[in-house]
Amino acid sequence: MAILIDTNTRVLVQGITGRVGSFQTKIMQDYGTKIVAGVTPGKGGMEVDGIPVYDFVEEALREYEVDAAISFVPARFAKDAALEAIDSGIRFLVVTAEGIPDQDVLTILNYAASKGAKVLGPDTPGLISPGKCKLGVHPHRMFTEGPVGVLSKSGALSYEVCRVLTKNGIGQSTVVGIGGGPLWGLSQQAVLKMFEEDPETKIIILLGEVGGTTEQEAAAFMKSYMDKPVISLIAGRTAPRGAQMGHAGAIIEGEEGTAESKIRALSEASSLIAKSPSEIPTIIEKSRG
Amino acid sequence: MRLLEFQAKKLFSEYGIPIPRGVLIRSKDDIGNLRFPVILKAQVPVGGRGKAGAIRTAKQAEEAAAIVEELLNSNIKGWPVQALLAEEQVEIEQELYLALLIDKLANLPLIMVSATGGVDIEEVAKKSPEKIVKKHLQSTVGLQDYIVRYLGKSMGLGDYLDGFRSIVNRVYAIFYDYDAILIEINPLTVSSNGLVALDAKILLDDKAAYRHDDLFARLQEEQKRSVKSGKTVAEQLAEERDITYVPLDGNVGMISDGAGTGMLALDLIQDAGGQAANFCELGGLAGPESMQQVLEVVHANPRVKAILIGLIGGLTRMDEMADGILHYLEQHGKSVPLIVRMCGTQEDVGKAKLRTVGIETFEDLEIVVRTAVKLAKES
Repeated sequence: MAILIDTNTRVLVQGITGRVGSFQTKIMQDYGTKIVAGVTPGKGGMEVDGIPVYDFVEEALREYEVDAAISFVPARFAKDAALEAIDSGIRFLVVTAEGIPDQDVLTILNYAASKGAKVLGPDTPGLISPGKCKLGVHPHRMFTEGPVGVLSKSGALSYEVCRVLTKNGIGQSTVVGIGGGPLWGLSQQAVLKMFEEDPETKIIILLGEVGGTTEQEAAAFMKSYMDKPVISLIAGRTAPRGAQMGHAGAIIEGEEGTAESKIRALSEASSLIAKSPSEIPTIIEKSRG
Repeated sequence: MRLLEFQAKKLFSEYGIPIPRGVLIRSKDDIGNLRFPVILKAQVPVGGRGKAGAIRTAKQAEEAAAIVEELLNSNIKGWPVQALLAEEQVEIEQELYLALLIDKLANLPLIMVSATGGVDIEEVAKKSPEKIVKKHLQSTVGLQDYIVRYLGKSMGLGDYLDGFRSIVNRVYAIFYDYDAILIEINPLTVSSNGLVALDAKILLDDKAAYRHDDLFARLQEEQKRSVKSGKTVAEQLAEERDITYVPLDGNVGMISDGAGTGMLALDLIQDAGGQAANFCELGGLAGPESMQQVLEVVHANPRVKAILIGLIGGLTRMDEMADGILHYLEQHGKSVPLIVRMCGTQEDVGKAKLRTVGIETFEDLEIVVRTAVKLAKES
C-alpha cells in the first residue's frame, strides 16, 4: 500500500492534448501509471500515445472505470474542468494549474467537499508512489521505493529532499505535493493522517514554508493524533516580511507566518527539525535508534 | 493588488457605502471647498498610518496648507508621499470594525466584526479575541440576513442595524464582483448621521486580473501617479519582464527553478556565513529566454559578486536552461562568476553544453551554496 495511489490506480488526464499534458502523459505512462483515457473539449476521437481522447469526462467514464484524474488545464479554464470532473463522479482529482483565482478555488473545493471528492492542489506537481504510480510531473529518477512518506508545499523542495534520501539508500512510500497555496484541497493535516494510517509508511517528512498558519494546524494535529515520527524542514528562515516568495501562499504576514514560529510549534509537537536536506538521512538513522 | 485608500473609497462610493466628503490632493492648492476641520491622510500602501504620523487634522486653511506641504515632502515607512486624501472630519460616537476575507483554513469566506474597532484592533485580537465576532459564509448559502442580524446584535447596534445591513451587503457585492480577497473597514464609525466608513482597505486577487482588465489598468495607472516606489534598476527590469524577484541586502545572487528550493537556498546561504542579494524564481514552464532574462535581472544589481543558479528540474528542461545561460554569457561574459547546480530532465545535455564554455556544474545544493558564498567574499 501507499497513500492515495497504487499500482492499480486507473487514471484520466484532463487537458491531455496540450503541450504539457501530452508530454507529461507519456512520461507517466512510461513510468507505469495506468492511464486509461484523456479529455480535451473539442478533441474527442483523437488519440495521444494510444490513449483515447474524449470531449467530456462523462463520455470517458461510460467506457472506462477511473479512480483518479489529473488536470493540466490552464488556470483560466481550470475551474470548469475541475467542476466537470467532480460532477461526473471523479473521486480524486489532482489540479496542477498555478494562478487560479482564489474564488474559483473556493468553488472547486467546496463543490468537491459536497460530493465527497478529494482534490490535491492547486499549483501542485502531483504525487508519486515510487515504483508503483506517478500522478504528476516529478523527475522520477530522484525517487525510490521505501518507508518514508513525504509531503511538501513546494514541488522542487520535495525533489531536493528525495534526491538526497535516494542517494543515501532511503526510499519513499508516497511523495505528495500539496501545492503552493494560499488555498489547499488536501491539507498538510489530511495527508499526515493518511500517512499515520498507512502501514507502509514508517516515518514522515513534512516540508513547509513561510506564510499562513497551516504548519501550526499540522503541529496541533501531530500532538493529539500521531505516533509516527515526523521530521520537518521549513524553508524561508531568512525570508523578509511582506514579500511574496514565489508561491502565492509564501508571504509572511504577522508573527504566525514566520519560519521561527512554525518551527517552534512543530518542535513542541515533538517533530524533529532539519535545517537542510543533507541533515535528514542522519536524523532518520538516529530516530530508528 | 492592494488599493490605495482613495481608490478603495471610490469603489465604496460607487456601491453606495457612506464615506466622508473628501478630495484627492497633490499640492497645497487642491483642498477646494471642504468644511473644516479637515483630516489629511497620506496615500501610501501600508497599515499603521495613524501611528506613523501620516494622518493629521487641520482646523483651518493655513494649517492645512502647512500640513500638506510637510506630508508631501515626507516619507512614510519607506514610501515617499505623492498624494493625500483630504476629508471633512466626522464626529465619532463609536468605532466599529468590519472585515470580509477568505479563511484559508476553512476554505470559506469569513466575516469579522467588533464593537471595539480603531487603531488598536490588533491588540484587541490578541488580548481579548472574544471581542471579535466571526461568521463563515457557507458556499451554497452566502450572506443571509440572519448573519447580518447576529453580527449587528453582537455589537449592540440597535437603531443602526439597517445602515449596517446595507453596508455589509454592499461589501459582499464588491467582494464577488471584483474578486477581492480582503475588504476591511476600520474604523466603521457610528456618528449622528449613521454609519460611515472612515478607512477602507481592499486587496484584489492578482490571479483574477484578467477578468477585470479595465479596472486593474485604471488602478495601476492611478497608483503610478500617486506612489513613487523607489525601485532599483533590477526591480524595474523584473517588473517589466514579469519575473518573481525580491531584493535582499547581500552580495550572492540567487536563481532557482522552484519557490521552495529558492527559499531553502537563501537559508543555506546565511547558514554558510553569506548573504543573498535577492530571491528570484523561474516559473515552472520556463524556457531558455526566461533563463537569460532572469540572469540579466539578477546581474543588474551592482552589489552581486557571484550568482548561484540552483536547478532541479521537474517541468524545466536542463538543455534549455543551459541555452539560456549561454545566451546570457555571450552578452555579458563572466564578469560575475556563475555557480550552477544542475539536475533533472535532460541534465546530461545541459551539463555538456555548459562544459563547452568552461562551466562545471554541481549536483549538491549545499556545495554550490558554499562555493558561491566563498567566491562572493573573495571578489
